[in-house]
Amino acid sequence: MKRKLGALEKVDADLTSLQYKVRRDPPSYFEDHQQQYMQYQALRDLLLQNPSTSDDTGIVRLNDLIDFVAHTADCYPKATAQFSDDLIQILSLHHDELQADLRDKMVSSLVLLRNKDLIDSATLLNTLFPILVSTHSKTLRALLFQKIISDLRSSNIRSTNHRLNRTIQTVLFNLLTSDRDSTKGLWAVKITRELWKRQIWTDARAVDIIKEACLSENEKVITGGVRFFLGGDKEREEAADESSDDDIDMKTLRHQAGINKKTKKKARELKQAAATVKRKERKKNAPHPLNFSALHLLHDPQGFAETLFSRHVQNSKSKLSLESKLIVLQLVSRLVGLHKLTVISLYSYLLKFLTPRQNSVTSFLAILAQATHTLVPPDVLEPLIQKIANEFVSEASAQEVAAAGLNAIREICARQPLAMSDTLLQDLVMYRKSKDKGVQMAARGLLSLYREVGAELLKKRDRGKDATIALISGGTKEQRFGEEAAGEIQGIDLLEQWKTEERRKRREAAGLPADAATDEEDEEDEAENWKNWDVESDDSDDSGGWINVGSDSEDINISDSEDEKENGPAAKKAKLAKSETPRPGENGSKAHSEEPIQKQISKLLTSTILTPADLKQLRALQESAAVKSQMPSSKRAALLAARHADDAITAETIEAAAAIGKKSTKEEKLAMAKSDKEGKHQSTTAKRKEKKEAEGKSTTNKEKARKKNFLMTLGKAKGKNKRSLVDIKKTMRGHIERSKRGGKRGNRG
Amino acid sequence: MGSSAKKKKEKKKDFQKVKLKVGKTKPKAANSTDTSFKAKAIALKQQSLSTNAPTVEAQCAHQISLLNHKSDAQRRDSLAYLTTVISTHPPGSPLPQPASVIIPAIQRLVLDGSNSVRQQMLKLVQSLPKTDIASHTDSLLLHTRAGLTHLSTDIRTFALDMLEWLLSVAGDEVVSCAGGWAKTLKCFLSLLGWQTQVGDKWSAIRTYGRGASDAKVQAKQMNTLTTFLRAGLIQPTEIVAVGAGTSNFPLWQTEHHVLSERSSAFAHLNLYGATRDEEAEMYEDREDRQRVFHELAEGAIAAGIEQSTKGGGELGRAGAHLCKAMKEGMADFHRVDED
Repeated sequence: MKRKLGALEKVDADLTSLQYKVRRDPPSYFEDHQQQYMQYQALRDLLLQNPSTSDDTGIVRLNDLIDFVAHTADCYPKATAQFSDDLIQILSLHHDELQADLRDKMVSSLVLLRNKDLIDSATLLNTLFPILVSTHSKTLRALLFQKIISDLRSSNIRSTNHRLNRTIQTVLFNLLTSDRDSTKGLWAVKITRELWKRQIWTDARAVDIIKEACLSENEKVITGGVRFFLGGDKEREEAADESSDDDIDMKTLRHQAGINKKTKKKARELKQAAATVKRKERKKNAPHPLNFSALHLLHDPQGFAETLFSRHVQNSKSKLSLESKLIVLQLVSRLVGLHKLTVISLYSYLLKFLTPRQNSVTSFLAILAQATHTLVPPDVLEPLIQKIANEFVSEASAQEVAAAGLNAIREICARQPLAMSDTLLQDLVMYRKSKDKGVQMAARGLLSLYREVGAELLKKRDRGKDATIALISGGTKEQRFGEEAAGEIQGIDLLEQWKTEERRKRREAAGLPADAATDEEDEEDEAENWKNWDVESDDSDDSGGWINVGSDSEDINISDSEDEKENGPAAKKAKLAKSETPRPGENGSKAHSEEPIQKQISKLLTSTILTPADLKQLRALQESAAVKSQMPSSKRAALLAARHADDAITAETIEAAAAIGKKSTKEEKLAMAKSDKEGKHQSTTAKRKEKKEAEGKSTTNKEKARKKNFLMTLGKAKGKNKRSLVDIKKTMRGHIERSKRGGKRGNRG
Repeated sequence: MGSSAKKKKEKKKDFQKVKLKVGKTKPKAANSTDTSFKAKAIALKQQSLSTNAPTVEAQCAHQISLLNHKSDAQRRDSLAYLTTVISTHPPGSPLPQPASVIIPAIQRLVLDGSNSVRQQMLKLVQSLPKTDIASHTDSLLLHTRAGLTHLSTDIRTFALDMLEWLLSVAGDEVVSCAGGWAKTLKCFLSLLGWQTQVGDKWSAIRTYGRGASDAKVQAKQMNTLTTFLRAGLIQPTEIVAVGAGTSNFPLWQTEHHVLSERSSAFAHLNLYGATRDEEAEMYEDREDRQRVFHELAEGAIAAGIEQSTKGGGELGRAGAHLCKAMKEGMADFHRVDED
């Protein structure tokens, strides 16, 4: 008699069910797992005989077996210890011959083993990375890149895994330095850029890798590295903004949970959503991580800029195309402008490109402007400005060209005003009478710039009222080369005034002579200030912007500096307070220069450290003295200040002036008019209605009545006609009564 | 109301029937896809026009190429064709396709899903000349081992047949090729469930995927193991006479200096392959094999035999055979051990 088969025995060649059972109860299925493991080994040996064979002939494929073993490896770590090594060996030896799906399965199984913590990240990355660099298959490269990035991300998610990061960074660095001619270095750039974008790597070592890439010999690697410096930080900011965009509406979710069918899954989802919202909230409140831009993290920018320039731009043997040369130049000029470096040969190199016929000349002009700063000798810049003026700005040249030239000169002179001679300036300023609007605006820009920074170079009638008054009264002093304005804090004089006022009040209240305040008293005041560190005046509310720092060590430091006050550590303090060094010619104080007193560096600034309470008071005082900020010159200064020092000057900045005068076509005008209105035209009611619908709110009874199908209302209307007079009277009475009561559910009982 | 009427009209528009007119081309459906394409070259598919029939060699090559056809029947028929051609060809003349072409093509079929294909494949290899098999033992054994550990019971039993045949044809090569001894032994142990470390469990372990005819299969496995052990452990009876003939008088020990007659005589040096561990190593001497057997399997097999002889019946008989083979094979090993 035939025995009845159990359900278990019927399923014969089913790895999935075996996997399920193994995971449920590892010890009892050890034998079966072992058998499958042997099967895997047999098939592996067969594969190794000829790695390029496809394995899809039999009913059990190696692919499935690898998947099975990888998923169950954590149940029998001892028995399958060899498995990961097998995969690593097969992959690294035969990745080019293997069938694509088998190969991908091996990669993902390795990653799975890593996620189960059977191998460590370093092993995984050290396996995947050489394959990424050497393989010929595009799909495999994409897969490996994704896996590498995600593994690095997941191992840095809780806390920064410094050791792993350091090993990988070393690997990338070695890849770049080992073979400078090959394109392999591009992978180092790509990985670093991706990790930089996700804010996983934010340290100087990552920047060092890119720096090395910039100095390689391969054009692709060079441009990749340079592009990172020019755009990597912006990319990072955008990515950070994007990630915070998708917000969850908890209210609707809760509402839906109340209405829809209640399942475990939905409850879990709600819980997860709440957790994410909470996490986001916490993240929003957390202090912003201080991420330095890549350009600021560079070690030895002077040397870097010099080597970049001499190796890729000036070197006649370098085979870079004009486009890549331009972006290298852009980077060099960014570095020069940002760190105030001195690369004198850069300016003479740029000289020969400053002709209107040069390809992408506006970029060259922008590069020149960007590379200019206050420490560039004026006599180096003078011939350049002269050449721009000669080549671009003339009656004979096209209007756009002249506008671009004038604009470029303005941008250069805004950074180094001393580079201009009076005859040339007076000549250029004359172009404000030009017929073309672009040229006009550019010339006016130059004029208003020099009214502020060097009015004496202008003709008398061009100087304008403010500048003339300032010149006569001697309020502006000539800025000389290399001179640095003394550091100050805007509005510190206001604070000083306020402090003396306060002191006088206090002394009057104490019955002492109002004027003479002794030094001891000063110090007493100071001590008092430090005691109530947070807020001096009770009425000013706490903005909460200050994070409480564990202040033990700091207190000690500060009291030290107080003790040493007599020994004169003033310089150190000045440095502390100098964080907002204003540019020359930018201080809006000129309007106030009727009083010809040479402004001394405030005593307050050199002798004390401002407490947060002081700073708050300072801000309040500044706001109250806002009259000054309405002046056009200070507005302009504010605009300049708003433009961040990290922002680049591009060709568009130079070309902007020329675009002003340009007549646009009808299509462009239409597009412009349309661009600020989004979507179709709608009345306010329609918009409100749409909004209401989108929010899922219900309609009013009135609306329902209006929308009701006509045929449905017919019957009632007909009935109304047939009523008797008494009925009509009844309803009319009822209506009056209802309206008196305030509706059906009236409030008067 | 107005809006609903409009909506209705719009809705209707989507499902409106397009009118067909006589003499006009049929209008295209809204979701029709243009599948026409342009090609730079046109390939004409044509049957060969040669008048004379293809040779046997060509036909064999064609049939070999059909061995990985997706249909079971086609694979089986191709195998059958090859079998008839080989078995009917006159001895002495060369095969229509050399064995070095045929064997690599058919060996994967050990793991084939269809039983008829597997049986036909066994017939085909049996029809091949024995001398050709010897040089392909290692790859055939690899496939057979893969079959022995297969999830499917049918394939496992078939692999036993295959191994049995392989041992009968080239027993010496099977036990002495790389991994042939240790790995196959391990394989048998796991097949029979005679692992050394499982003795401490309370309940008997029933392995997953084993059919009802467990005892029968196990008996068969034990019989095959007996053959395997006999091939590996027992001294070959006829000892090759050391050539001491007087005919080659001045050359005394020529046979030690001529190249070995075995296939891949220097395989044990492992010049090109990956490094081998203990399992994958070649064990060419009987003494080596005895040592490995003693270390790996002897205890487990003895325990297993004891259990199966207690059960009696078919299993008991198989156990007795196995016991006898093991004793014979290991008889002189103990003596060596004692010395």
